[in-house]
Amino acid sequence: MRLFWKIAGIEARKRMAYRTDFWLNSIVAFVTELGVAYFLVLAMFGASDRMGGYSRNGMLLYYVSVILTARLVRPADLEWAISDDIYQGALNRYLLYPVSYGVMKYATQIGALFPAIVQVTLFGAWVPFVLGVPEGLHVTPVSACMAAGAILVANLLHFLTVYPIQLVAFWADNCWSLLVAHRLVVMVFGGLLLPLTLFPAWSQPIMNALPFKYMFAFPVDALLGRLTPGEYAAGLGIALGWCAAGAVLTALVWRRGTLQYTGVGI
Amino acid sequence: MRYLRLYAHFMRFSFSRAMEFRLDFFFRIFMDTLWYAHHLVFFWVVYRHTSLLGGWTLDQMIVFAGGVFFVDAIQMTVLANNMWMLPIYVNKGDLDYYLVRPVSPLFFVSLRDFAANSFVNLLMAVGLLTWSLARYPGTLGAGAVAAYVALLLLGCVLHYSMQMLFIVPVFWLHTSGGLREIFWSLDRYRDRPDGIFTGWVRRVLFSLLPFSLIASYPTSLLFGGRPWLIVVHIAGVTVAAFLVMRWFWSRAVKAYASASS
Repeated sequence: MRLFWKIAGIEARKRMAYRTDFWLNSIVAFVTELGVAYFLVLAMFGASDRMGGYSRNGMLLYYVSVILTARLVRPADLEWAISDDIYQGALNRYLLYPVSYGVMKYATQIGALFPAIVQVTLFGAWVPFVLGVPEGLHVTPVSACMAAGAILVANLLHFLTVYPIQLVAFWADNCWSLLVAHRLVVMVFGGLLLPLTLFPAWSQPIMNALPFKYMFAFPVDALLGRLTPGEYAAGLGIALGWCAAGAVLTALVWRRGTLQYTGVGI
Repeated sequence: MRYLRLYAHFMRFSFSRAMEFRLDFFFRIFMDTLWYAHHLVFFWVVYRHTSLLGGWTLDQMIVFAGGVFFVDAIQMTVLANNMWMLPIYVNKGDLDYYLVRPVSPLFFVSLRDFAANSFVNLLMAVGLLTWSLARYPGTLGAGAVAAYVALLLLGCVLHYSMQMLFIVPVFWLHTSGGLREIFWSLDRYRDRPDGIFTGWVRRVLFSLLPFSLIASYPTSLLFGGRPWLIVVHIAGVTVAAFLVMRWFWSRAVKAYASASS
């Protein structure tokens, strides 16, 4: 456990080392994402007052929340780290360490979370003053705690869905297209592109059963007070079930992959 | 003519290389298919709740989406790999190889790697653009469609020039990609209709950071915009952006200090 936090600490310091790059890219990405979402919401609400259970300001708050949540759930760059280790043969040294490779990589992801928390706190500080809490939403200390728990599970779930995809690198010469494909699916069915309540009623049970909703939309729904305790518990249960499935799949693929790993990189 | 022959060689090498990595070939087709689908799903869901977005109907928006796919497919097939590698060449000193050839380094660096594995997606994008135009319920004249496609091609040149303007600072900054990450963030504006943007943001997207001129403004030509104004505006900005990029590139090459610069 001490080693886990040590690795996390090293990653956090590494992330903060390139401060100008880190802050410039983060600020531009946030402002752009928010800008596009802002104008989109204004255009969508041109002719109606409510949409998918949200008022105009409610949907703006949804977008701010989901953009910031995404930063906590999938810290940048790490989506490619494992496949890079396999391609470049850097996996060799990890195989010799007396510690699980997956746990080390997850520690890295947790380390990347600390600077992301600083960002989210700073980028989100203006929201209560500008948007307030729109009608129909209930942001309270309890809902914030529920969201924090959901984000921790979402972070693990995202890691465990990306991990087995990256292990495809044991067989394929390039798996970045699969990772981009994962990103797109997560964007649509996770609620990053649009609030999931805008999707047709028949698709809701499907999205509830898939893991993607629990990465972004679910923590945001928890934050905005749109979940009952029962719905929250059921959602966490499904998310943890998908985490377990991801862990089993990862273990299977890892075992097959390391058996035929040549160790020289590709 | 010499450059065309050279480009034909680039394409031949790229196709033979792509055939070596077949799995990646299919992964890329899969990825791009999902990218097209995610755009269409996005507009489909939005239009379930509104009849107009940025002044366009769903049918008009699908034509716009077809334009975005077309521009993106050209970028992915012709330029993306080269744009990805340029900062690496600069940081490792590998740009020397390009500078000593008896052809324009800018041409060589920008077009050497033709992504043959994206070529199928280019065909798919052309198919989607054709489909979006064919299914449009109103009348679209052949001249207007030809002008639209020509403006989309200009949009590709504009997109390339802007991307280079964000990458070339790598010669001085020595970061992993110059300001590439910022460009990718801003590129989101390209994929949304210009009609939703208002005020100074709209003015910026039509001038300083002309992302709306790449696919969205050309689409207005089909749906009641003033054709000459649109053509002159897009052509003027594209030429200006290309010239600025050429000048910036030549300054950058002069500042290049070779290995590990």
